[in-house]
Amino acid sequence: MQSQMKESDPILEVENLSASTDNLPILKGVSLAVYPGEIHAIMGRNGCGKSTLSKIIAGHPSYNITNGDIKFLGENINSLEPEERAQSGIFLGFQYPIEIPGVSNLEFLRVSTNARRKFLNKEELDTFDFEELVKEKLEIVKMDHAFLSRSVNQGFSGGEKKRNEILQMALLEPKIAILDETDSGLDIDALRIVASGIKKISNSQTGIILITHYQRLLDEIKPNYVHVMSDGQIIKTGESDLALELEKKGYEWTDNFIKET
Amino acid sequence: MVKENLVKDVVKEPYKYGFVTDIETEKIEKGLNEDIIRLISQKKEEPKFLLDFRLKAFKKWQKMKEPDWAGLGYEKIDYQDIIYYSAPKQKEKISSLDEVDPKLLETFDKLGIPLTEQKKLTNVAVDAVFDSVSIATTFREELAEHGVIFCSISEAVKNHADLIEKYLGTVVPASDNYFAALNSAVFSDGSFVYIPKGVTCPMDLSSYFRINSGDSGQFERTLIIAEESSSVSYLEGCTAPMFDTNTLHAAVVELIALDDASIKYSTVQNWYAGDEKGIGGIFNFVTKRGKCLGKRSKISWSQVETGSAITWKYPSCLLLGEESVGEFYSVALTNNLQQADTGTKMIHIGPKTKSTIVSKGISAGNSKNSYRGLVKIGTKATGSRNYSQCDSMLIGDQASANTFPYIKSQQPNSEIEHEASTCRISEDQLFYLQSRGIEFEEAVSMMVSGFCRDVFNQLPMEFAAEADKLLALKLEGSVG
Amino acid sequence: MEIIEKIKTKQSQDSLTEIQKICLDKLQPSPLPNPKSEQWRLSNKSKFSNFLNYPFNEKNPKFDTPFPKSSQSTIRLVIGDSCQFNLIEENYSIKQLSEDKLVKYIKEQISCFDENENWSDLLNLSLNCTKNTLGLKINGSEIPPIEIFSHASSNSLNAKTLIIFLEKNCDINLLQVNLGKENSSLSQSTFFFLEENSSVNHGVVSYGENKSNLLNSLNVIQQNNSEYNLGSLHFKFNFARFEIRIKQSEGNAKTNIKSMQITKKDEQISTFTKIDFNGPNGFLDQINKSLADDKSHAIFEGSIIVPKIAQKTDASQLSRNLLLSNLAQIDTKPQLEIIADDVKCKHGATISQLNEEELFYMRTRGITLTEASKLQLSSYFQEIISFIPVSKDRWDLLDKLLQEN
Repeated sequence: MQSQMKESDPILEVENLSASTDNLPILKGVSLAVYPGEIHAIMGRNGCGKSTLSKIIAGHPSYNITNGDIKFLGENINSLEPEERAQSGIFLGFQYPIEIPGVSNLEFLRVSTNARRKFLNKEELDTFDFEELVKEKLEIVKMDHAFLSRSVNQGFSGGEKKRNEILQMALLEPKIAILDETDSGLDIDALRIVASGIKKISNSQTGIILITHYQRLLDEIKPNYVHVMSDGQIIKTGESDLALELEKKGYEWTDNFIKET
Repeated sequence: MVKENLVKDVVKEPYKYGFVTDIETEKIEKGLNEDIIRLISQKKEEPKFLLDFRLKAFKKWQKMKEPDWAGLGYEKIDYQDIIYYSAPKQKEKISSLDEVDPKLLETFDKLGIPLTEQKKLTNVAVDAVFDSVSIATTFREELAEHGVIFCSISEAVKNHADLIEKYLGTVVPASDNYFAALNSAVFSDGSFVYIPKGVTCPMDLSSYFRINSGDSGQFERTLIIAEESSSVSYLEGCTAPMFDTNTLHAAVVELIALDDASIKYSTVQNWYAGDEKGIGGIFNFVTKRGKCLGKRSKISWSQVETGSAITWKYPSCLLLGEESVGEFYSVALTNNLQQADTGTKMIHIGPKTKSTIVSKGISAGNSKNSYRGLVKIGTKATGSRNYSQCDSMLIGDQASANTFPYIKSQQPNSEIEHEASTCRISEDQLFYLQSRGIEFEEAVSMMVSGFCRDVFNQLPMEFAAEADKLLALKLEGSVG
Repeated sequence: MEIIEKIKTKQSQDSLTEIQKICLDKLQPSPLPNPKSEQWRLSNKSKFSNFLNYPFNEKNPKFDTPFPKSSQSTIRLVIGDSCQFNLIEENYSIKQLSEDKLVKYIKEQISCFDENENWSDLLNLSLNCTKNTLGLKINGSEIPPIEIFSHASSNSLNAKTLIIFLEKNCDINLLQVNLGKENSSLSQSTFFFLEENSSVNHGVVSYGENKSNLLNSLNVIQQNNSEYNLGSLHFKFNFARFEIRIKQSEGNAKTNIKSMQITKKDEQISTFTKIDFNGPNGFLDQINKSLADDKSHAIFEGSIIVPKIAQKTDASQLSRNLLLSNLAQIDTKPQLEIIADDVKCKHGATISQLNEEELFYMRTRGITLTEASKLQLSSYFQEIISFIPVSKDRWDLLDKLLQEN
């Protein structure tokens, strides 16, 4: 990774991270630092470990960190619970958002928003104030109010699920958002809505990690850095043109990097 | 509209294995007591430990009561009216197949199991059991080259007494149930398989059981041991002549799989089922159980049960080893007055154990077909999974289909899923097939075999084709 | 044998009613249920004998219902207090069943009792007297919701009987609440008869206090075109059995059941259901949910019986179970017994814990594990609770009770 002097401290630092599940190593020494205002893209074949990286940063209980550290705003968060990470401002947009039958979307959004607000020492919102807030945020993702009364993600189309993820991001106002294949399964209109939503929510104080296979999301949101992952490692890091080159030459091209290293 | 009588006719195919071989046999007198057991043991020249095993089992059996919980209706069996040992008379020691009575070879020929060097099946080693004794085992030398032992259990008692003493009765203890105790006391013959460490058995092994005499019971015993990292596929077939009396068949099968070993045990059971009035037929009361002793071991049962007047059989798996796997795939077809009460027990003891149950019951005529199963996840079986699916198909409005799954979990970090459904062959489906020019009976058998597909897929190839044909024959004329 | 002696010594032979005598006679040869029978084999023996240990109490002490005050729009009855009840309005009438009819009906029922299967009813009827029996005949339309309370008082065994005849074309919402006080046993037997074209939304909420026990037996007979909907919840009992027997006497009826039991500490609660289709075109949609925590034991056994006469039956039964602790256990046994061929029957059962992926998803949104589990549990309850016919204010109370639990 190229060294460059940064003015502020990083939001998220991943240092030489190795992790496994069921004794199977998945990550083999990943390092990454995201500074305020930066957008990073992580690309790579299926199974290269990029989704796993996002889950580990969010604290999924099925993975064990075997080596290395995850630091958020300078603090080591290796042993924090997933909810503590979320409350402090780490957001994971799921590749496959989970359906939770019976739990109303509105209630779910309210409880999570208030958990974050409590952490920020902000006043918790009652049902009415929350309705107001949601209405405003629904605009960002162009979602209908009716979505709120349904069960969390249940019966949502692929596009609706992804928009619901961005809605949650808008409500939680994270410091860093890791968006795992948020572009997959979206048609071009939905992709634009999602991309513009992400741009609206992010600012010079926040960081974003986009995990994706395709260039098309990166056409909408231009990343500062592009990382290519393979077999649990980042094998190449470049600027946004790396993604274009990758699109042109395919992942076989990156296989050479492994040989080089 | 399909006519009711058409339905009934479908099941009337005569039993084609119903002939009797006219051969001189050596039988002991009827009845059961300690002397009879000593006599059987003596005839088989058994070591003392085995005689003791038999006598102990007999004592237990005497104290036990014949079970009635399955609600099977049959006349009380007179255990003193059964001959417990019957063997075709032949030369004392047979050194090669050429010395086997040609009548016996002919019998197995007729059953589609040729044994002679010229005609024997090329890809399957066969152990042929006629009444109480094993007649011949093919491919012995070839198997021996790989260290695989495949012989009759009587022979194993003589040549591999250490293995027998170590494992016999460790999976199905003599006290397990009434019929297992009876078998332990009087078992006559059966097959023995030993697959040494690291060996993949080079061909399928098969036993063929033939009951010939009408008044003797058949009590065979099978023991299969798969050492570490070995694997074997074993097939079992059964037929019997038509008699108007009921014959008792009470077998015990024990399987043991050590670390990384896998045993696949397939049965096509076509004992004589009795006539349409329910007269005659075999009482098939069998205890089959496998012990997944080793880590990552696997035992897979697949069965096609079409014969017997009454079948009472629950091939089971004790999943002790970590990450061990148990499977049960079953098709049970009953017709006329047949009764089948079959299913499995999956006992999860070790952590991360997995089991799968797929059971397909087809009941036609006045028959009764029940699935009875137990899935139990013990306190230490963390991370275990079970999936069961039990489907019944009813043909005609006189047949009954029951499902009795017992499910018990004591381990929160485990998952059990059970599904069951009942259906019949719909007129729409039949019409659709017929409108494409398919004959009525062909259509029915297509539907039935489609219903059983998941299970047939688990059978070894030749067996699957055989099973398909068997079902079609059995069902001929029975649907509406 | 003890239990029979207990009943007999309590009252002189002469003061026993005809029903009591018949039931005592039936119990005589086997005074206790056979512990090896399917219906009783999983019942905890010491808990069950504890049930019978309390002295029998005919009195019916006043109690405070924890539910909100009765409103104009609901009819509230307490078995024992309101057993002399007649209400005749313009559109409808709720009248007391005549003694004759009551006795005749119960005798009919008893004649087809099986000593083991109907043991709870036999016990109830041999203990009970007219005083604690509420028999109602309901007809008409626009009937306000009815609430019926039954309770046991501390340190005693109480028996309550409820008999309801719903006449043709009539439909009602009925909530039955069974309350157990500390150290008490309640035997509640309910007989429901639905005439043609009638329909009922029946709620059964049973909850106890410390060391309370319950034997709750519900017998329903449905005539042609009737619809019976049951939503039930049993919790906070040291030992409770809920037995549901439904008979569609001529088929052609609809039955919906959503039942649930929650067990904690070392409680044991079981639900037994038997649905008998005695004619064609019957319909059943049933789900039973259990939740077992701590060292508790939840049991479900359901059987669906479809004889030859019951062609075109459409029945589905689902058993969903959550096992939340290493020391808790769950037994479930959904059974099908089918002879008819043109039927659609299915059943399913699952045992698992709370869904981990769902929990993780909520936690990544900042919701704590406890909160996330609660949300998941309340969604698990929701399906059942929303099926219990109670008005909004009562609903809140139920919700609160569940939260506390």
